[in-house]
Amino acid sequence: MSSNSIALRLSGMFTLVALLVFLLIGGALYQQVDKGLGLLPEAELDARYSVLESALNRYGTPEHWVKINAKLKLLGEEDKRIRFWVVSGNPGYEFGEPDALIRAFAQGPLGMRDLQLPDHPYPLKVLLTELPAKDQRPPLRFMIGIDTETFHQTQHQLLIALVSLAVIGVLLASALGYWVARIGLKPLIKLSHEAQRLAPPLRAGRLRLSPLPPELEQFVDSFNSTLERVEQAYSRLESFNADVAHELRSPLTNLIGQTQVALTRGRSAEHYFEVLQSNLEELERLRSIINDMLFLASADQGSKATKLTSTSLADEVATTLEYLDFILEDAQVQVRVSGDAQVQIEIAHLRRALINLLSNAVQHTAPGQVIEVQIAVEEHQVSIGVANPGSPIASEHLPRLFERFYRVDASRSNSGNNHGLGLAIVKAIALMHGGDVFVRSDRGMNTFGIHLPV
Amino acid sequence: MRVLIIEDEEKTADYLHRGLTEQGYTVDRARDGVEGLHLALESDYAVIVLDVMLPGLDGFGVLRALRARKQTPVIMLTARERVEDRIRGLRDGADDYLGKPFSFLELVARLQALTRRSGGHEPVQVSIADLWIDLISRKATRAGTRLDLTAKEFSLLSVLARRQGEILSKTAIAEMVWDINFDSDANVVEVAIKRLRAKLDGPFDEKLLHTIRGMGYVLESRGVQ
Repeated sequence: MSSNSIALRLSGMFTLVALLVFLLIGGALYQQVDKGLGLLPEAELDARYSVLESALNRYGTPEHWVKINAKLKLLGEEDKRIRFWVVSGNPGYEFGEPDALIRAFAQGPLGMRDLQLPDHPYPLKVLLTELPAKDQRPPLRFMIGIDTETFHQTQHQLLIALVSLAVIGVLLASALGYWVARIGLKPLIKLSHEAQRLAPPLRAGRLRLSPLPPELEQFVDSFNSTLERVEQAYSRLESFNADVAHELRSPLTNLIGQTQVALTRGRSAEHYFEVLQSNLEELERLRSIINDMLFLASADQGSKATKLTSTSLADEVATTLEYLDFILEDAQVQVRVSGDAQVQIEIAHLRRALINLLSNAVQHTAPGQVIEVQIAVEEHQVSIGVANPGSPIASEHLPRLFERFYRVDASRSNSGNNHGLGLAIVKAIALMHGGDVFVRSDRGMNTFGIHLPV
Repeated sequence: MRVLIIEDEEKTADYLHRGLTEQGYTVDRARDGVEGLHLALESDYAVIVLDVMLPGLDGFGVLRALRARKQTPVIMLTARERVEDRIRGLRDGADDYLGKPFSFLELVARLQALTRRSGGHEPVQVSIADLWIDLISRKATRAGTRLDLTAKEFSLLSVLARRQGEILSKTAIAEMVWDINFDSDANVVEVAIKRLRAKLDGPFDEKLLHTIRGMGYVLESRGVQ
């Protein structure tokens, strides 16, 4: 399984979370218990001392002190952890055979202190008190100590128990987490099996799974709509290829046929001349289609306009109208221009787009009528629309008019310069400038135009 | 005038050789980059036609090696319609560029532009048969009668008259008269020629403005037919 498997990653994350939780809880628990354990020896010393205190203070004669010594000895034998020392100037009152270390310790400050004996791994906790002189007895230093080794051992065992519990818990969390993740991911696995079945040539296939968890519904929806768009683009491409083949086929048929007929028998020089000229016309048509196709292809590949110049749209429209002057006169069509805007644009491209838009409009305008060119500045864009009076275009055609070779009337064929790519080129030019095209048909006016970003 | 064609495509090289020879050029041919570079460095050519896609040393390589030693004008030909090619070609020192498919007429026009001697006198007056054109005062008469031409019609006539006897393609005419250098949906040149012809040749027996199908137009005297 690859390292970025979702189940593995989830179980990894569960492990991390478990580790974190155990660290926090274990740490807090250990702290708490440690604090409690630290207080235990002191509490025990306090308890032992308070039992002895009254007896120690009550008796001051050596006879009694012998009894006390016996009592202390008994207590020390009962519980090996406990040690007693009595340090005094008078050896008769001393207990526990204090050596130099003990004597030095006994001269230190009173209260609860740690005493490190040379043969013990852990220090003793010692309560040092002073008994004031009584009767014949001089003042005494009384020491009661407890060996902390057992407390330290308990602490150590607790640590081991906590760490091993945490390790087991973390391992368990990661294994269970993996298992849980696999269960949780089941719909996703089913979905990917379903998607595998969508391999080509099943272009119409869609993901169909129900009931779906809501998290996946949106994914399936957008995946399906992507498939839809791909299918549309694919079928457009197919019909485009068919159209290209068709467009190239008729001039090629003429070329092959005419040349073959000319070559089947001897012809006059005039006839050959005629055939060559006709062939040249067909070849020019092919050249023009291929050049347009190459232009569209480069736009499809995302090529952008580079030689941008700041220019006035109205000026460019005027230049274009001057170029089209003869055509407009022949068609007896007038053009009215309104508005203006400054744009950053590659001028040759803009002119080409304007010429194509205007000649498209002229072709569909009856003599005596007026074409309107409207330049408008909108919020983030500039629009330039070419509107011609004409019969309404059915709405199912509108979105497709800028497609390559798309014709409202499928039987209508174009001749001469116009081979059905004019508006597609307009669209390509708009896209190359980061803009788009628009078309609308209302109130007897058909408007084709481009939006350009400001 | 000597021209060197460096082109490995046999058919292209053949027709260029024939066509340019007929245009009055002396043509040498090379089939690959190494041979072409050798010839270009050894002899002095007025202009070199250089294909980009060549076996061995490609067109860019030839151009770089040539530019290290010589400034012979170079027109590059390529079937790869990529802007990158264009930019690269011009930065490396190509003087002009033509994308395949190109028209032979256009190549000839570009060659002439590159080899035209600077300081050549532009004619101020042109006469063809009984047509007389004054390019300065922008007047034209035929058999003594003033032709009533619009400004654009006169521009068209003067472009054709300056190159009388030479076939001009529609693309070349659109570029020279209207400064439009791309194919478009509008057949403006055809319409303009039709109008000019009506005024120029309409009332007269000898026709001067001729259509060469598939190629373009030529202004010349062929006598009364």
